[in-house]
Amino acid sequence: MSVVIDRSIDIGEFVPQPDDDMIICRCEEITKGEIRKAVHDGMWTMTEIRRYLRTGMGLCQGQTCSRLVKGIVARELAINPNELEPATARSPMRPTEMKVLGKEVS
Amino acid sequence: MDRYEVIVVGAGPSGLSAAIEAAKRGLKVIVFDENDKPGGQLFKQIHKFFGSKEHHAKIRGFRIGEELLKEADEVGVKVELGATVIGLYSDKEVSVRIGDTIKHYKGDTVIVATGAAENMVTFPGWTLPGVIGAGAAQTMMNIHGIQPGKKVLMLGSGNVGLVVSFQLLQAGCEVVALVDAAPKIGGYGVHAAKVARCGVPFFLSHTIKEAHGTDYLTGVTINEVDDKFRPIEGTEKFFEVDTICMAVGLSPMSQLLKMAGCKMEDNPKRGGQVPIVDEYGETSVSGVFAAGDVSGIEEASSAMIEGKMAGVCVCGYLGYISEEEMQSEIQKLETDLDSLRQGMFAPKNRGKLIEKTEEGIDISINLLKKGFVADDEIERFPGVVHKVGIHPVMECTQNIPCNPCQDACSKGCISIGNNITCLPFIKEESKCVNCGMCVASCSGQAIFLVDEDCGDGTATITLPYEFLPLPEVGDKGFGLSRNGEKLCEAEVVSVKSMKAFDHTNLVTMKVPKEYAMKARFFKCS
Repeated sequence: MSVVIDRSIDIGEFVPQPDDDMIICRCEEITKGEIRKAVHDGMWTMTEIRRYLRTGMGLCQGQTCSRLVKGIVARELAINPNELEPATARSPMRPTEMKVLGKEVS
Repeated sequence: MDRYEVIVVGAGPSGLSAAIEAAKRGLKVIVFDENDKPGGQLFKQIHKFFGSKEHHAKIRGFRIGEELLKEADEVGVKVELGATVIGLYSDKEVSVRIGDTIKHYKGDTVIVATGAAENMVTFPGWTLPGVIGAGAAQTMMNIHGIQPGKKVLMLGSGNVGLVVSFQLLQAGCEVVALVDAAPKIGGYGVHAAKVARCGVPFFLSHTIKEAHGTDYLTGVTINEVDDKFRPIEGTEKFFEVDTICMAVGLSPMSQLLKMAGCKMEDNPKRGGQVPIVDEYGETSVSGVFAAGDVSGIEEASSAMIEGKMAGVCVCGYLGYISEEEMQSEIQKLETDLDSLRQGMFAPKNRGKLIEKTEEGIDISINLLKKGFVADDEIERFPGVVHKVGIHPVMECTQNIPCNPCQDACSKGCISIGNNITCLPFIKEESKCVNCGMCVASCSGQAIFLVDEDCGDGTATITLPYEFLPLPEVGDKGFGLSRNGEKLCEAEVVSVKSMKAFDHTNLVTMKVPKEYAMKARFFKCS
């Protein structure tokens, strides 16, 4: 299911857009422009974007923005969003304080 | 580490249904839900459901939730609330946050029924306080009893957008507009019609250009879009609002399944990232099942059946029932599910342009564009007939799997025909006794009792009324058209509220007889 993206294709220069300052990931306050620039910096997968910008790593864990970010990245790469593999899913699924995470009971 | 034969994640319609099926066959079941109350979205659903008797038709969603909880309790399902599953591992181990601790559980089988999350769309100002999801509005109104705002614009004309718009009206909010970028209304026509007759304007092929405000939302500008969804200049319209509700679809919350190593696919028809499941709802990881919206966005009735299937399948998987028994149970449920997935709005018809009903009647274009059937279109549907004396007028114009009306009439006036999706019609020889049961039973509020000529130049129209305060006999006001415009003077001549009506009150108004087939709502002056 993972789609290998040919990294040698030319996606052109970053062209500023009027709504680049619009916030997309509210939890981490990442704008549309930052996401688009990240693609031009070479971040072509959702996992790379997430590690580079922290989109979807805040309080809501991407519940609101992951679909939006995916759409922006796909448009920048001129591919269908379905071709982008979503970022890795791992525990904890919901934001959990370290003091709770470390308090395992049997 | 505690061990259970079945671990269910999510206590919504599908999770609870699954748990009940498993527990009543003797399996040790635990259900986790991160919320403080069980029932998932069911307890927000105050409208009557569609379907047949077997699908809880004409029962309000929250009542179905209450029934499910009672049943779960009776068969010994353990429901752990405030319990967030934070991890699901391939060996069917789950870690759960309960209070300030993490507990681990091992399941012989796991049923993931985590449901879905609301989608958002972006526009300048979308992060302003006051821009919320339609589900959030529903939670505020129907769980906590507070108005989300005073003046609301709804974005999205699917069933969620339509149902929540109606609920906003019921909660006393003003809905200034219902907006959708699509060229036609996505949800049931009857849901749209009951919003339209309250006077809410529909703007199809429109989208939000900008939300205004600095600290909070104060207004919104919409504009028309062309067939490629590009804004058309000069079509801007401004509305003063304090709330924008977004009902722009749902995405499955399938991350737990991905984490467990289930094979996933991106399937736009199912709403996004979903597990690949077999006909029983089993994922690629043996013993891990998915049911409900997490495996493809549908609605609560089908989620409950999918849940039951998963419940039956784990019984078979663990050897509690024989293969034959499992197959026969599954077959019954599949037939059930098939009957729900019929009609114009069936999953297989998504995105298709349907121009005619199953009966070969042209669909009302006005209904798809404006939310109501135009006066010159309504007469072509089989439920709309003229008769001497009181008789039902059924403004049911789309094929949806629903039939409570035919059982509602003790005189047998109403028939659906052979197929549950067929449009209802009046039997020729039948005699209406004005009991009003059909009016109250229609989940789409599309049935009216009309006496077209009372002999004194007036007509009476009995309509379903779900607003408070109720009008009183003698109240004077206006008869509203199907799009909520004031048509004529009207006087309330009867108000009926019976237990059997289940909070759908029957208001009868007297209007000049030329409006008998035009006036469909009452507004006090």
